[in-house]
Formats: sequence, structure tokens, C-alpha cells
Amino acid sequence: MSPRRSQTGGRVDRMRTIRFTFDGRPFTGHAGDTLASALLANGVTLFGRSFKYHRPRGVLTAGIDEPNALVTVLHGDVREPNIPATMLEIYDGLTVVSQNRFPTLAFDVGAANQLGGKLLGAGFYYKTFMGPVFGPLKGTRFWMFCEYFIRRAAGLGRAGIAKDPSRYERMNAFCDVLVVGSGPAGLMAAKAAADSGARVILAELEPKFGGAANWSGETIDGMAAAEWASTMVRDLKARDNVRLLPRTTVWGYYDDNAMAALERVTDHKSAPGKGEPRHRHWTIRAGSVVLATGAFERPLVFPGNDRPGVMLASAAERYANEFGILPGQKVALFVNNDAAYRAASTLRKAGAEIAAIVDVRGEISAAAQEIADEGGGELLRGHAVVATEGGKHISGIKVQKFDLANGALSGEARHLDADCLLVSGGWSPVIHLASQAGLKPEWNEALQAFLPPKPTQNWVGAGAFNGRFTTAEALTEGLAAGLSAAGSTGGTDSVPEVEAPALDPHPAPVFEIRAKGKAFVDFQHDVTADDVRLAYKEGFVSVEHLKRYTTLGMATDQGKTSNVPGIAIMADALGKPIPDVGTTRFRPPFAPVSLGALAAERYGEVKPERLTPMHDWHVENGAIMYTAGLWYRPMIYGLAGETVEQAYVREAKTTREAAGIVDVSTLGKIAVQGPDAADFLDRVYTNMFSTLAVGKARYGLMLREDGIALDDGTTWRLGNDDFLMTTTTANAGKVMQHLEYLLDVVWPELKVRLTSVTDQWAGAAIGGPRAREILASCVTGTAVDNDTLPFMGIVHGEIAGAPVMICRLSFSGEMAFEVYSGAGHGVHVWEALIEAGKPFGMVPYGLEALGTMRIEKGHVTGAEIDGRTTARDLGLDWMLSKKKPFVGSMMMDREGLADEDRVRLVGVIALDNRPLNGGAHIVEEANESEPRNSIGHITAVCYSPMLGKYIGLALVKGGKKRHGTRAFVSDPLRKRFGPVEIVSNHFFDPEGKRMHG
Amino acid sequence: MVDQLSPLGPVWRPGSHGNFAAGVGVVLSETQPGSIVQVAAWPGEEKSLMAVIRTVAGLALPDGAGGGVFTEEKAAFGFAPGKFLVVDQAEGLFATLSAAITSEVGTVTDLSHGRTAICVAGPKAEWVLAKFFAIDFSLVAFPAGAGRSTVHHDIFAQIQRTGASQFDLYVFRSFARAVWTALCHASEEVGYEVQ
Amino acid sequence: MLINCPYCGPRDLSEFSYQGDGNRTRPDPASTNQAEWNAYVYDRTNIAGDHNEIWQHAGGCRAHLRVTRNTLTHKIISVGFARDERHKKPHGHRRSGAHS
Repeated sequence: MSPRRSQTGGRVDRMRTIRFTFDGRPFTGHAGDTLASALLANGVTLFGRSFKYHRPRGVLTAGIDEPNALVTVLHGDVREPNIPATMLEIYDGLTVVSQNRFPTLAFDVGAANQLGGKLLGAGFYYKTFMGPVFGPLKGTRFWMFCEYFIRRAAGLGRAGIAKDPSRYERMNAFCDVLVVGSGPAGLMAAKAAADSGARVILAELEPKFGGAANWSGETIDGMAAAEWASTMVRDLKARDNVRLLPRTTVWGYYDDNAMAALERVTDHKSAPGKGEPRHRHWTIRAGSVVLATGAFERPLVFPGNDRPGVMLASAAERYANEFGILPGQKVALFVNNDAAYRAASTLRKAGAEIAAIVDVRGEISAAAQEIADEGGGELLRGHAVVATEGGKHISGIKVQKFDLANGALSGEARHLDADCLLVSGGWSPVIHLASQAGLKPEWNEALQAFLPPKPTQNWVGAGAFNGRFTTAEALTEGLAAGLSAAGSTGGTDSVPEVEAPALDPHPAPVFEIRAKGKAFVDFQHDVTADDVRLAYKEGFVSVEHLKRYTTLGMATDQGKTSNVPGIAIMADALGKPIPDVGTTRFRPPFAPVSLGALAAERYGEVKPERLTPMHDWHVENGAIMYTAGLWYRPMIYGLAGETVEQAYVREAKTTREAAGIVDVSTLGKIAVQGPDAADFLDRVYTNMFSTLAVGKARYGLMLREDGIALDDGTTWRLGNDDFLMTTTTANAGKVMQHLEYLLDVVWPELKVRLTSVTDQWAGAAIGGPRAREILASCVTGTAVDNDTLPFMGIVHGEIAGAPVMICRLSFSGEMAFEVYSGAGHGVHVWEALIEAGKPFGMVPYGLEALGTMRIEKGHVTGAEIDGRTTARDLGLDWMLSKKKPFVGSMMMDREGLADEDRVRLVGVIALDNRPLNGGAHIVEEANESEPRNSIGHITAVCYSPMLGKYIGLALVKGGKKRHGTRAFVSDPLRKRFGPVEIVSNHFFDPEGKRMHG
Repeated sequence: MVDQLSPLGPVWRPGSHGNFAAGVGVVLSETQPGSIVQVAAWPGEEKSLMAVIRTVAGLALPDGAGGGVFTEEKAAFGFAPGKFLVVDQAEGLFATLSAAITSEVGTVTDLSHGRTAICVAGPKAEWVLAKFFAIDFSLVAFPAGAGRSTVHHDIFAQIQRTGASQFDLYVFRSFARAVWTALCHASEEVGYEVQ
Repeated sequence: MLINCPYCGPRDLSEFSYQGDGNRTRPDPASTNQAEWNAYVYDRTNIAGDHNEIWQHAGGCRAHLRVTRNTLTHKIISVGFARDERHKKPHGHRRSGAHS
């Protein structure tokens, strides 16, 4: 006998058939079904194999607390493992496979693990695989041998390796009141808050709002509870100040009421709509939060409690009332409280036969008794289930007399036929979010449950979350919570009437029936009650240690059904009351969150790119682009058939022989303006700027407060109070922040304003012996001769009608000019320069040639200004003014920093005429196989067309003292060893004749 | 005079895109003002600076952090203590403001090329922008005219609300194409039109 | 965590960058007292409790803020512009490092 769909009842749309496959077999279900309900409707009860023992497992719950029925959803090659079948809405074409079975779910060879149960107990891995090796079957080496087999045999779903093409996004939201959970308490709270004018967000992790109202079978306000909920939702939906978020799990409670939530936007659709994300990650900043997250029913721990067909009583009620499914024909119940009696009543009305109600209690409430009386079947008070029977599905149970006072079993074990066993071990309020935003949860003896802690953030709870398990209480508390969260003193809403049986919510303090056989506490991680006791025997007394040793509560469900029973069993072993053993603190996330949603827009094609004004020109003209931070810059403009090296050598050589042009728009540019600007620059640069004439530029060096070099660049004085500072591309942001700090925090009395104008200007550097002629041929409004435009001079003019500012400065060592124009004119000016350069043989060059020419000149960049080097290390001590203090001036001369033996900038030449690598070590001994005693490293390399050699810059101990000596480059990872000569970093034109013309 | 080239280049595709069958959720456009000028007052000189803006640009800035004002042609808003962005569809505002603001009052910085102005308008404008910025775009929290400085990862944005469902974003020019691409991407689900 | 920027209003932590201990005072630029400079550059208070910190609203108005924050609870007790509050008495106690 198996579960089936009833002819009527539930809220699935029987007119709409949906087709899906499970393990390759086609099935049908109806709109509104989850995978769990649809498979149950088809009589399927075997959903998966367990983590360690490969035991057959069915479906235990109907919601997010499901530990057993985990499946893998396939979208082509993309696998999404460990999805609870209870949370998976079916759609046409849904393809699902079961997990942790080989070769098939029904016939699984791994099930042999059950026989070796003793071997795989708590601490198995620690005991077997850690520590020293004694003999062949112990220790870490043994682990390395076994790992492959164990990883194959134990585990949950397998993660995929295919690229996930889905789209994910992030969303920010603000509200006065966030209501989490939309059962009667949540709906009531949302309405009350909305009525008082608050901006409200109502988040519900299920597709349908209403929570327990959807399946309780109770009557609210004269209507069926489900109808009442629909009415409430329609009302809320119509309001401007309410946002409803279905399929949205609020999973994290962060500081200042920042809530993290995951909306599953299209998981229930065959195909997402155009532009629709699969998941949307919400960050909700709420003035206050109403936690109406309800409670999870707990299973009881007894031998065979994991057999398919064993299900929580509330889950059965939900399958019957919400999905129109009878989980069995002949149903037994095993309970320690009243609430489950309603399930018996529900199933009987839906057509099932109640085989028996086994209750550990001797006494039950009148209302429960009444249900038992009308229901047929035996009421076995003071009894317990000690075993389940059957193979892959339950066929019967064994019961014995049970003594509530001491847990003792007595009498003959009696057999009862049943194809479904509903269990209820009481209720645990869902206090996960509260635990993230509160103190320690509080144990309530009467309810045998942890109740919400005292808040440390601005939230208020309502309903079952507070341990108020009746609907009437939920409505009353929801109303009060909504008003209080909205800061309202009272509203016009009244609490609707509820008709429900008066069942007593207090369970008997029974968590486990101790009888022979495996009794599971954590279904998902296969942790048994004996494992918990074993952990105790081996000395693990803290809950935190218990958790780690047994892995209880550490699976993807994070112990939603197992934490409290686990603690109770530990407390029993310790002989301590439960609150003394404590609970573990719940941490985010409440439920698994897709990594895609966390990465969201940072994933794939939409990460920000920073482009210079001339970007498209570079690409169209054959540039190979590469990234420099977020910027894209040309590496080379290769000709057909050229290697990268051939291209940059040609570009650099042509520049030195005729002319070249390079895009320097990425240089950081900061407008430094105000009457104190010159004074400020004197304080932050090592050299003097107040003496700089208007219309001139100067090279400057900045140190950090600790005396280490920070950045270098030229600064142009455009007016008396108006400077244009340039920084290296990489350090623009860092320099800006450094300067802003000094102005805001250290010297607020200075009248200086800083503005990032990097993007205002397009920059083109044109250099080479013909550069001046090229400029002269295209610039109007100014002369560019040596008198008008001397070295470090600035002139203003026009090129092809666009205003430009030209500064004569050189990084390449050639006669060179930087031409700045408005960024929007950048391409226009660039193309005019290219055109003007044609008769002179000018080439555009990329970063490789730029680097080559700067290495030949021995100029430093970020590779040398690496956060460890001082001005002296870089040979820039000539820039350190002695006439004034500056940032870093007192710290740069400390003993260690002035040490002659520090690494200093030098040049290196490969004597074996082979390429060098940046990052390679320099060693003194010619010992390739065992290199040692590094004396420094190479920072930058190139083939120098001027020298006809492979050269590099390096930071080497002693620096200058080693000029003319030999050493070796050692780069074992890249298999490069060879002799080098250490020389001055000024390889080419050390007197600077070329740039001065 | 040479016209400014838009930084959007090939990613600017006029027309309707995405899921627009049931109507267009947002309209995206590059407003291409001729002048974008940053003015900054020294502490205590804010009122004098605002008076100059009123005289020169005819824009009466309200008091208070992030206050702003706009007309068809011009706009101004505060985005940081003592700092304002003044925008004009016409060119030449930098020169007039520079002439009118003395060094005793504050500084003037031309950003006409350095910032790109993108307008996001339509019933889903708040929804689309909320995907990027962690600020409250509701009309109560962000009234028309007001300005905000915020950031989306590495991309700084100054935003002015220029209507019940319209916002002007000022972003660094070098990021404009990335911002535009991301805005289009984020607008697909609600349907968007590029003008 | 939210920081209530005096100009921009409450903003998410992600818009701010921490700029260090707010208890240190930079020596006079002309000072040649090495110990004083060492203390400024390297010594930091490390308080379990209310701490005086400098934050920059880097992703907003870019102002530096003086923030009193409880390092145990993340609760922010006060926020003001750093430039306004420079001359106010620093909160908390400076403790010199081992070298001074």
C-alpha cells in the first residue's frame, strides 16, 4: 500500500497536469505540487539514500526542515544538489535525480554500510585516520589511500562543474517593518503595521502566503483558515505601502536590522522570463522586524524512525489539506503531545484508516480524547513504538508499554500493521533569526522547547515563534507585534475569532525511546542516539564539542529537526537539565543560499570595466588589450605575424628613432585647488612645490607617514591656487585617500580642495626625435619651440579645433610631450595626432614598449614602489628636501631604513642572452639545483632594442656597490637559471641628452 | 567647436529591449549636458556660494544636506559638505562660475568631460536603481531635487532625483559604459527603452 | 552595520572605509622627537568597549568622520565630522608602545 492523491481536497489545480522526471522515470503532478507531494501522489516513498549508511529514506516533513528527501536538480549539465523535495515546486520539464546511491536508488550496493554500522560511529574518521602510522591500516597515509572510496560512498549530492548560466542579482530595500513569516501571526502583524501607515515588507519562504492557515483546517473569522489568509493577502497586495515577497527566505540578521534574504524568483518556472534572475539576494534595512517564523515539529527518536513512511504529523496534515494527498491508507501515530491528534482527525476525514494512536502519556486532554474516540483505531496510552517493520517502506510497527517516569519499556512487544507512521515529539519555535540578534535562547520546561532570547536588536516576536502554539494566540500576538513594530499605540483592527479544537500544546518530556536498533537523531548526517552517548563516554560534554565530534546538526539542514533531541539526549547522558547543557547559537544562513546570489552582478560579463576615451580606437587598430586594475590598456599594436616581443621592440625602436604615441589617460589626476594648495603640496611631497612657477610642472615623490615611498608623478601648476597632480594609474585611489585624510583630519585649517579629475582629461604622450615637429604641424594657438615650451613647461593651444594643454615631460627618455584634452575630445585629438605623425613615421605604442623604454631609462613604477622601498632604495634621495618637513621625513631616516645593505635599485643584464622574469631571485652562487641566499629580486624585464640585450630592473642588497659584478638569476618555478651582470639602472642615455633635445 | 563624443559607443542601442511586451519599465538616456561643474565653498562660505549659483545660474538651492533644484535646462544639488554639482545643458558654465566665485568663497572645478550624465526614468526606475545602490529611493526618503552621493562597488555616483520617477546619475566617464551596460542588464526584466 | 553620516544620513558599512584609531595626534610637522613620531605611526589603542575611530565615507560624501563605536557590540554611540571635532578631547586613553 502506498500514498495516493485523493479525489478532492487540497489546493493543487487538478486541471493542470505537469510533467517531470525523477531518476529518468516520467511522472506527472499538478500545478501547486512540490516534488515531494507529486511523488507521494504517484506512490513514491523512497526519495534517497542516507549519508553514511545508505539507508533508504523517504520524506519526513513538508517544508524547509526536510532532512531526508534531498535531490539534485539538473539543468542540462548544471547540477544543483541537496534541494529538499519539499521545497521544490514542480514545472514542466523538471529533471530530478536522487542522491548518494549506486547504481540505482532501489538497489544500492552502499547499503552494505548498514552492516558495518559499528565501524562508522561517531569519531570514526578521527580514530581511523589521524595520528602517527602504526601498521598499514592507520593514520593519515591510510586516509590518503581510502579517501577516494569514502568520498564516493559517503555524502550528499554531488556538485557540478558546468558553468551556471543563470542570472543572479542583488536588491536593496528599506522599510519601517519587515515581517518574516506569513502564518496567521505574520499576516495579522503585516496588516496592523500597514494600517498604521508603516512601509511594510512581508517575506514568506513558501510560494503561498498563509503558513499553517493553509492546512490547519481551522476556521478564522467565520471562514476556512486558508480562505481567511487569501483574503488578508489580497488586502495587503492592494496597498502601496506593502511589498509581498513570496519564495523569500530571510536567512541572516545583521547589525542595525540589516536582513539578508534570498528570493527564488524563477526556480518554479520551466524557463525564466526575459531578464529575470534565478535568485535575487535582498538586503532589507528594516526599522523594526516582526519575527513570525512559527515552529518546527520534532520527530521522536526510536529504532527504525528513519524508515520511509515515517512522517511528522503536521507534514501529513499539510499533505492532506494543502496537496490532497493521503500519505498512507492505514495510519498509525506515535506522539508525546496533543497537537498530533488533529492530524489523525484530518487523515480520517480524508479517507485513511487510523490503525492506532500510540501516546507515551498516560493522561491526555479531553479534546484529544474526543478525537481519539471518534476516530476508530486503538488509543494506546502509556505506550511507545520500539521498532518499525518493512523494507524500503514501512509495513508495521512494534509497540511496548512505556513508563513516562523513567522511560522503561515493559511487556511483550506487540505488532501493528501500518503503511504510514506519523510522529510528533513536540514543537521547536524557529528562533534562528532571533538567536542571531539576541542573547541565549531560554528553555521552557512546560513546552519542552527553547524560546526566543532577549533581543539585542529591534525585533518583536509573535505566535508559535514565541511558543504560543494556538492560532488564537498567534492572531492576538501578531496584531500587537505589528502595532508595536510600527510604533503605533493602537489601531482599529480587532482579533478575528478562531474555531479550533482545544488541544493542549504541552508535550511530555520524552525525546527518545531506548530500545534495540539504530535510532536516528540527525537524519541527514546519520547521527544516532548511540553516537551522542558515545561522544559523552569519550569525554565530550559541551554541546559545541558534541556537534563537531558527531557532526550532529552540521548538515545542510543545520539540525532543524535534530538539535533539540540531540541536546536532550546529551543532557540525559550527563544527568543534567537541558538548559544547563545549552543550545548552540544559530548562525547565518538559516537555509542554504546559492553562491550565485551572493556573487550576483560581480559574476560574469557585468563586472565594471574602466575605459579610456580612446579605447575603441585601440581595439579597432589592432591593439591587444590587457587589464591594469579595472582599466583596459593596449599591450601592443601587433602587425600580422608579429610576436608580442617583436611588436614591442618595433614600437620602442621606432619611437626612439622617429616618434611614438601612447595613451596615458589612465594616470590618476587630482585637482588640488585653493589658497593653501602650494603649502599643502610642500607638506605631502618630499620636494618643494611652492617655488614652482605657474605654467610649469615638476616631478614629485610622496612618502607614507612611516617613511616608505608611496607614489610618484608630475604636478602641474595651472594657476597660483590651482594644481593638477598626476599619480600612477594603480595608486590614484590610494593617494587621493591619503591626501583627503591629511586635509580632513590632520590639517583642517588648510584651504585646499581635492577633486578626482582623472576622467576629465584624455592624455596622449608623444615622444621621439620627431615629436616636436609632429606637434608643430598640428597645434594651433601656441608655439612648441624650446623657448615657448621648455622642459617641464606647459602651454595651451588647440588641435583640430579642440582645446589642449601640452606639458613637455618625458617618461620614455625621448623629447616628449603629454597632450591633454577634454575626455570627450580625446579620440578627435588622438586621431589628429596620429594623422600628423604619419609623415614622420610615428607609431602608436602600448604598455610593453612603454615599460621597455622606462626600464632602459631606469625609471621606477609600482613594481619598485612596492610598499617596502624607501626613496634611498629607489635612488631618489636627490628628491628629499632638507629645507622643510614633509610627510614621512622624520620616519624615513630610521636606522633600519637607512641601512646601506638594504635592497637598492639596480639594473641587470642577462649574460646568457635569454629572457628574464619579473619576480625571479638574484643569488650569488652558481648553484642551480639548490639556490640559496637570495640577494634580491627582479622587478621588471624587457628586451632592450637599444642595448640588444635582455635586461631588467632589480632590487638588490647593497645596490650600487655591486655595479659591475656578476650574479645569477634563479627562478626555479619557471626553470630559469643563468648569469647576470649587475649594472646601473640608467641603461640608456644616462645624461638625459635626448629629452632635453 | 568640437562636439563631445559619448563614452557609450557601441553599447548605446536606441529602441526597446528586454521584457517590454507589457510596457516599458524604464527609459534610459544619456543627457549630455554641455556643462558639469563642481563648486565647493570654504567652511562658512556656503551661503555666499549658493548666492552666486542663484545669480549666475538662476538656481535657488534650498538649505540642508543634499538639497537640490532643477529646471528643464539646469540643475544643482549638494553632494558633500560645502560641495555642489551645477549642471547646464549649455556649455560655458565653468567660465561664468569661475569668474563669479572668488578664492575667498571657494573653488570651481570643470567636470564637463569627466562625468557622464545618465537619466533613468519610468515606473520601475526605483526598482532598477535599488539593484545597484544601498540607498532608499522612495520619494519620502529621497525627494525631488535632492542629491545623493553613493557607490556601487568601485563606481561612485552622484544622483539627483529629477521627478517622481526620474533620476539623473553622474558617474565617472571611464565607467560610463560599464554603468550603462549594467543598467541595461538590470532593466531587462522590466523592459527598457533607450532614447 | 550602519553609520549615520552627518551629511548623507545612515548608510551601509560598505560605503565607509576605516581610517584607523582616532586617539592619535600627529606631532607638529617640525617636531624632531622620534619617539613622538613612532607613537603616532605605530601605537594604537585597542579597546574592548567604546572606541574612538576615524571612518571615511569613501563611497559617499568622502568626509572623514569621528565615530565612537563599541567594539564588542558594534553599537555606534556618536558620529561627527572629523574636521569639526579635531580640537575636542579625544575619547579613551592613549597607551604608548614598548619603545617609548
